[in-house]
Amino acid sequence: MEQRDNYFENLLAGMKTWARINSPWVLHFNSGSCNGCDIEILATLTPRYDLERFGVKLQASPRHADVLLCTGGVTRQARDRLLRIYSQMHEPKFVVAIGACALTGGVFRGCYNIMGGIEEVIPVNAYIPGCPPRPEAIIDGVVKLLSSLQAPTVCDDNQVSIDAIGSEV
Amino acid sequence: MKTAEALSKARQLVEEWEFKTKTDRPEPNRLDVALTTVDDLIPIVVGLRVIRLGYLAAITGVDLGPDEGDLEILYHFCTAAAVITLRIRVPRQDATVPSLTEVIPSAEPFERELREMFGVEVSGLRNKMRLYLPDDLPEDVFPMRKDVTDQEISQSVTLQEI
Amino acid sequence: MSEVVKKKSFTIPIGPQHPALKEPEHFLISVDGEIVTDAVVRLGYAHRGIEKAVESRTWVQSLYMLERICGICSHIHAMAFCLGVEQLAGVEVPPRAQAIRVIVAEIERIHSHLLWLGVAAHEAGFDTLFMYSWRDREKIMDLLEGFSGNRVNYSVNVLGGVKFNIDDAQETAIREAISFLEERTHHYLHIVTKDAMFLQRTRGIGVMTRSQAEVLGTVGPTARASNVYRDIRVEAPYAVYDKYPARIVMDNRGDLEARFFVRITELFESYRLILEILETLPDGDLTIRMPRRIKAGETISRVEAPRGELFYFIKSNGSDTPERIRARTPTICNMMSVVKLLVGHQLADVPMILVGIDPCFSCNDRMVVLNRDRKIEKLMTWEALRQYGIDYYKRRSA
Repeated sequence: MEQRDNYFENLLAGMKTWARINSPWVLHFNSGSCNGCDIEILATLTPRYDLERFGVKLQASPRHADVLLCTGGVTRQARDRLLRIYSQMHEPKFVVAIGACALTGGVFRGCYNIMGGIEEVIPVNAYIPGCPPRPEAIIDGVVKLLSSLQAPTVCDDNQVSIDAIGSEV
Repeated sequence: MKTAEALSKARQLVEEWEFKTKTDRPEPNRLDVALTTVDDLIPIVVGLRVIRLGYLAAITGVDLGPDEGDLEILYHFCTAAAVITLRIRVPRQDATVPSLTEVIPSAEPFERELREMFGVEVSGLRNKMRLYLPDDLPEDVFPMRKDVTDQEISQSVTLQEI
Repeated sequence: MSEVVKKKSFTIPIGPQHPALKEPEHFLISVDGEIVTDAVVRLGYAHRGIEKAVESRTWVQSLYMLERICGICSHIHAMAFCLGVEQLAGVEVPPRAQAIRVIVAEIERIHSHLLWLGVAAHEAGFDTLFMYSWRDREKIMDLLEGFSGNRVNYSVNVLGGVKFNIDDAQETAIREAISFLEERTHHYLHIVTKDAMFLQRTRGIGVMTRSQAEVLGTVGPTARASNVYRDIRVEAPYAVYDKYPARIVMDNRGDLEARFFVRITELFESYRLILEILETLPDGDLTIRMPRRIKAGETISRVEAPRGELFYFIKSNGSDTPERIRARTPTICNMMSVVKLLVGHQLADVPMILVGIDPCFSCNDRMVVLNRDRKIEKLMTWEALRQYGIDYYKRRSA
């Protein structure tokens, strides 16, 4: 958030951040994965891991989502849809790349239909490695992204820049 | 139908057509029939259907490599543990095989895949849409042929600049 | 990655609709009123070109790639591949390794069916059943993790055997998990056969007769629910299924309820098989030495994945890289049947009929294009279609 002179604008910005940290709405998109990461993302919603207790809500529409959880190495057919979804999300928006394929293409790097990771197509804010990452790692990565929202850095063009973070679990 | 019975019935059926087992070490549960002409394909398939022998498990395309030059298409019919494979060799250029969809409707996805991956034309196939490949790949790029590499295929696509 | 990652700059399109981006539809459904008149499926969203890629990798590298064709049935893909290559190489795998492979394959079948049950319940709007079945599934995930170190992509197979052993502690854990799950499965069977709300969405819907199932080339539980005798474990036993035979589970009704019944009853069969193998698990080595270069030749390896018959054609040219690997997955066989089945059904039944064949579920992002009188009427997300079905049946029972 850029430094604003006006007190009210500061307050509003602070409230927005608080809302975003405490109740992010996420959209899940599979850009060509084997479903391993996707079933682990779904598993985070089930009673044992329960991502919803962190205030995370799974949304179906890009227009309502703050965070895009992306798996897969981006096949050519999925690329257009991914760009469309990203463009439909409102600012500020964050992208989490989940799984080895989403980071670099994984074992499929170099295959003709794979672009090679989400960052080839859209900017990524957080990377969660694993094949697939455990639900705990996914939660760790998402929570780290959310806490970093409290300390963003300012750069040109009024964009929010968050140093890409990785999950260590 | 049990395996042994299926194999002997299949052997009886194909005796009219010239065939030989192509593999060096034939497996006990398999019968390989190498057809000499593509025109024999539909009659043999109809014959298998009439004696209710097996279902079409898969259609495989094989590129025999630059030395041999040809492509080979395998039709696998399975019943119990028996696998009856019909093999056809076709040239690289202008290869055509007849479609099985009139006899076996479930052959459609396999034939669509054969068309797009190997460039073998399937005559009589109604739905010629691409199955797996993206639309922006050029029409004359056939990924499963040995003479094209992964890199060449990727580079043949010009991504829309947005 | 050793090279320096350059900072990328992106030009992101402005505005919600950008004309240059085409909308990739998964389904093109034509409707007349409420009834579906035609359905076309567009695949390829997860096409990664694996069959091409393995031709430039060694046999061992190919194993790791083929495991990741599907995250839900990764073990059975690796097993089909290993069985085929071992056959080509003329190598006899130790019986303990084969038995462990089968135990893990049956555990995978349990996890896949429970996963499917949850997803199918979610499509019908029964989120409670989804939560319960996935919670119970966690017991299986614990087993797999205790055994191999990973919950998904457990990578148990190596060419020539298995990597991990089942010791006494794991055996006890398996028995405990199975006895817990057996009780839960009785509960699920009761729901899918007795619950009125559930039956409204499954009984008499998506009927496929036996001859239709045969003509359309269906495999797996989808075929068995239409009284087609097709189960590779029974017809063409591989690994240790000849010593520990599986019993085929069939149903002659052919509707969605039958598909639920078949899969849940198969769970009981898997529990029984695993316990039977554990009773008399043979001793011995876990692996046998495999050559790096595999003898030239061709082989066909067929196994029963949770979704149906998995068909592998493997050709070797005598080197350390495969000449051709053809992995024909069961879903492509069943996809044809569902496309034909949708015709004549209500739009509200489309989500359930599709999930009945146990497809690659993760394409939750499927887009559906509705076509009325050749004019594109609307574009629906899968979520919207699912909700449409749920609301339709709620109104009917109100």
